[in-house]
Amino acid sequence: MTMLRGWTLESWFVFRTLILRPLWHDPLRTALTILSVALGIAVVVAIDLAGDAATGSFRSSMETLAGKTDLEIVANGGINETWLAALSSLLFDAQFSPVVETQALVPGAGSVPLYGMDMLRAAASAEPQEGSATTDKPHVVVARRLADKMGWKRAQTFNAKIAGRKVEFHIAFIAESGSAEYLAIDIADAQQALGRFGKIDRIDVNVGHDEDPIKVEAAVRKILPSGYLIQKPGARSEENQRMLKAFRWNLRALSYISLVVGAFLIYNTISVSVVRRRAAIGILRAVGATRSTVLAMFLGEALLFGIVGAALGVGLGRLLAGGTVELISGTVNALYTTSRPGAVSLTSTVTWIGIVTGALVALASALAPAREAMTVAPTEAMSRGAHEHHARLRWRRALLWSAIFALLSIAASQASPLNGYPVGGYIAAVLSIASAAMASPAIVLLVNKATRWMVRGRVVGLLAARSLTASLSRTSVVVAALATAIAMMASVGIMVGSFRETVALWLDVQLRADLYVSPAMPPGAGAYPPLAPEVEPILRSIDGVAAVDVFYGVEFHYHGERATLGAGDLEIVRRYGRMRFLPGQDREGILRSLPGHDRAIVSEPFANKHGIHAGDTLTVPMGDANIPLEVAGVYYEYSSSQGYVIVDRSTMSRYLPQQPVTNAAIYAVPGANIDRIQQQIQLRTANYGVAVTPNRELRRNAIAVFDRTFAITWALEAVAVVVAMLGAANSLLALVLDRKRELGLLRYLGASSRQIQGIILTEAAFLGFLSGLVGLLLGFAISLLLIFVVNKQSFGWTIQFHPPGVLLAGALFFVWFVTVLAGLYPARVASRLNPVDVIHEE
Amino acid sequence: MPPRLELRGVSKTYHDGGQAVEVLHDISLSAASGTVTALLGRSGCGKTTLLNLAGAMDFPSTGEVLIDGRNTGSLSESELTGLRRKRVGFVFQFFQLLPTLTVLENVELPRMLGHALSPPGTARERLQWVGLEEKAASFPYQLSGGQMQRVAIARALVNSPDLLMADEPTGNLDTASGDQVLALLRESATRFGTTIVMATHSAEAAAIADVKVSLRDGRIVSIDRP
Repeated sequence: MTMLRGWTLESWFVFRTLILRPLWHDPLRTALTILSVALGIAVVVAIDLAGDAATGSFRSSMETLAGKTDLEIVANGGINETWLAALSSLLFDAQFSPVVETQALVPGAGSVPLYGMDMLRAAASAEPQEGSATTDKPHVVVARRLADKMGWKRAQTFNAKIAGRKVEFHIAFIAESGSAEYLAIDIADAQQALGRFGKIDRIDVNVGHDEDPIKVEAAVRKILPSGYLIQKPGARSEENQRMLKAFRWNLRALSYISLVVGAFLIYNTISVSVVRRRAAIGILRAVGATRSTVLAMFLGEALLFGIVGAALGVGLGRLLAGGTVELISGTVNALYTTSRPGAVSLTSTVTWIGIVTGALVALASALAPAREAMTVAPTEAMSRGAHEHHARLRWRRALLWSAIFALLSIAASQASPLNGYPVGGYIAAVLSIASAAMASPAIVLLVNKATRWMVRGRVVGLLAARSLTASLSRTSVVVAALATAIAMMASVGIMVGSFRETVALWLDVQLRADLYVSPAMPPGAGAYPPLAPEVEPILRSIDGVAAVDVFYGVEFHYHGERATLGAGDLEIVRRYGRMRFLPGQDREGILRSLPGHDRAIVSEPFANKHGIHAGDTLTVPMGDANIPLEVAGVYYEYSSSQGYVIVDRSTMSRYLPQQPVTNAAIYAVPGANIDRIQQQIQLRTANYGVAVTPNRELRRNAIAVFDRTFAITWALEAVAVVVAMLGAANSLLALVLDRKRELGLLRYLGASSRQIQGIILTEAAFLGFLSGLVGLLLGFAISLLLIFVVNKQSFGWTIQFHPPGVLLAGALFFVWFVTVLAGLYPARVASRLNPVDVIHEE
Repeated sequence: MPPRLELRGVSKTYHDGGQAVEVLHDISLSAASGTVTALLGRSGCGKTTLLNLAGAMDFPSTGEVLIDGRNTGSLSESELTGLRRKRVGFVFQFFQLLPTLTVLENVELPRMLGHALSPPGTARERLQWVGLEEKAASFPYQLSGGQMQRVAIARALVNSPDLLMADEPTGNLDTASGDQVLALLRESATRFGTTIVMATHSAEAAAIADVKVSLRDGRIVSIDRP
């Protein structure tokens, strides 16, 4: 407040002449700084908007069809239809609507949600249309959007595949659907098509206006089996959001990298501003300006960069979000759950958050240099040399701080996750960056000393090296900014490279079958479309097939989280597979112990998420019963962070007898012709919508999904590197402008313009080298945090440390090369300075 | 044999916001090898501009500057760089030493920029000559003003140039230091045959000159050859 009270017309005059005018006269540097902030904010806004659009559309398209419901009842493995009668007998004004939910494969439209529901009720809530003919084909309600896309009209017929079986539908209604696409048929037709007689997926409950929903819920809970879940309709969406929280949190954290790099650059810009105007500050103080006026002036400059940059960034972020939403949506679909990307919408909240973030980051970054400006004494009009001399003297103190931050970082990395978030890991990463930034002056001096022999007798190298140490405070900030960007690139590169290698090795041991059979549907996490029942016997009857391991997958709820309950022939897995368990667990013994017993194995992410160990007992609701399963072992698994609980198929059949097979692995007899077996399967299952994938192709596809998943990560890294490059160019330009006198003098002493260019480019190369060195060291440290703390706490995977050497070397060389390129323009400016003018100015 | 330095009808005009300002008008003078020429006059009379033209750092708007008979205006950029390296040295009022280099490195700098034009050890010899050999490893901020200017003279002479342009070399020094600097300049003309052109306000400085050129408002008002 004191600062604001002191802000007068005179202050505005000073701000205009001392801050705004120089910015206006140095448009390139001003633009570079604003662009750095804009890119940093744009990435944050883009990831936020795209994340919302990609993951915020879980509202079931059912809602648009059947209207809003008050409660929904779900159960692992489906609900016994008989409970419907019991619910209907309750003396409440409530409607209980059974729903069967699956995916239909529609030629030309792909996989479309198909709901089986009580058509009489659905018809009542849809617009009645004239002329619907009566036929023996199942009647279907088609969402308007889908009908328009396919060019379908009412009373028309079309074919689709459900659970591998071809079904011909008659369009009875076209329902207004907004942006939703779906098909709805009578529940009996759906059960028949799926072969799931007597089973439904969900019961929607509509409570009458005069009825108390809490009482209805209590009554329903009383009569249903304890394993059934009664939840609010938004629960699934909330569950999805909860499931995605780690993914989105980590993505959001990555999106802040560019802003962190941008913060270093604002710090640098304001430092340059203070150094350049030191004499002017001294004069101002001498003629009566208060310290708070000086502080406000420089904070005002930073605020200007922050607000203008952030405003541009919000607009840019909205544009970037459009391109990012597909990438994020692809990852969500591949790894988590089926979602349809919604529209990107820039809300005023996001706009304000972007602008306020930009302003706060700018203010925080500028605080230290602005405070330093405030301390300039009225009599002081010190030269940069003296200021830099002090900076050189402070390197030891900075090094001490570096050590303190490093120790704090190690301590933070040991912290347990906070509410499921790896907060300690991220704090440790930020502290590591602070530690590296504080170590930068010492490293600059050390490397300079170590490379002195290289520049001995080489005038360009000598002048470049000396100039960088002479401008130590600025050089170390540029090195810290570039190093942060490089470190993030290196650490994420090491993490993703290690993860990729771990997954590749895991695929090698996990995928041992020769062929894999699944429904011909687009893959989607959490979706297990069934194979037609006829397929399994066909597979077993084909010549050359030694064993068929069928898998039953069903999404289930465990302690408020979703996961997959799976079943397979674990004797086949034992004989043919190479499933790996955590150290100290006996694979053979574990797999032998499952058939015929209520025992399960769980994947590592599931075990980590729920704190489960071998020997614990899990209570898993299956159908109407809660089944206690003893955990026989924990195995490595990298396809889902939600996790798996696997039982033997005998256990699954005992509790969920109607559960369909969802895919199968085929082991051929040794020496059999795999191509021929594949052909045979394709030929004999042609009518059942089956995809047959050879081992190698499945591995390739898995790695392709992995690479697609991390594409967004690389895009974020690239933006951070671009921001750092802008910073390098900006800082080199500042160094050139501040050393005009020195560069002019060199021309007087006989330097050619090529030599002047050489000095600036050598400085750029040296900056790039130093940044690469610090960045690589910091990157290794952060990669350890990402792999062993952040990833472990967020997703529960054990990733083996496999730094991708060639990729890292290439990336570092590229960054170094681009840093040198960033020096080209400043070098050109330096070589074109008129020596007479710059010496005369002195 | 042509004079080492000759200015023929040199004028220099600057344009400031569309307005032409003539800072030198029809200057003609010459300097022979091993002589000291003092340019005298008030601030703003054009002394520094004249030094820059004579040292091939700038070019006249009209007229010619000839060094050993070669017109500086006809030289290419690389020839000019070569000329500045081999033939011309500069000494400034504010010393203009690079604060990041040691004393020896400062003296060595023109030699290194010129790809070792003079033999190794020349820089040390020059330092010895100006009496500062023991300061070779010091940095400029560790020296007094007089010492800094002596280092600047050593630097200007390290490539044994034919011409030395000195802009107010004693303007920032006390009398004793100024006398030392002037003695060095005089000695360099006598001992090395350097042609020195010196802009100065100081009567003591002018006293060492062979030729005194008085300037007023960019024009020569008198040339005094004792």
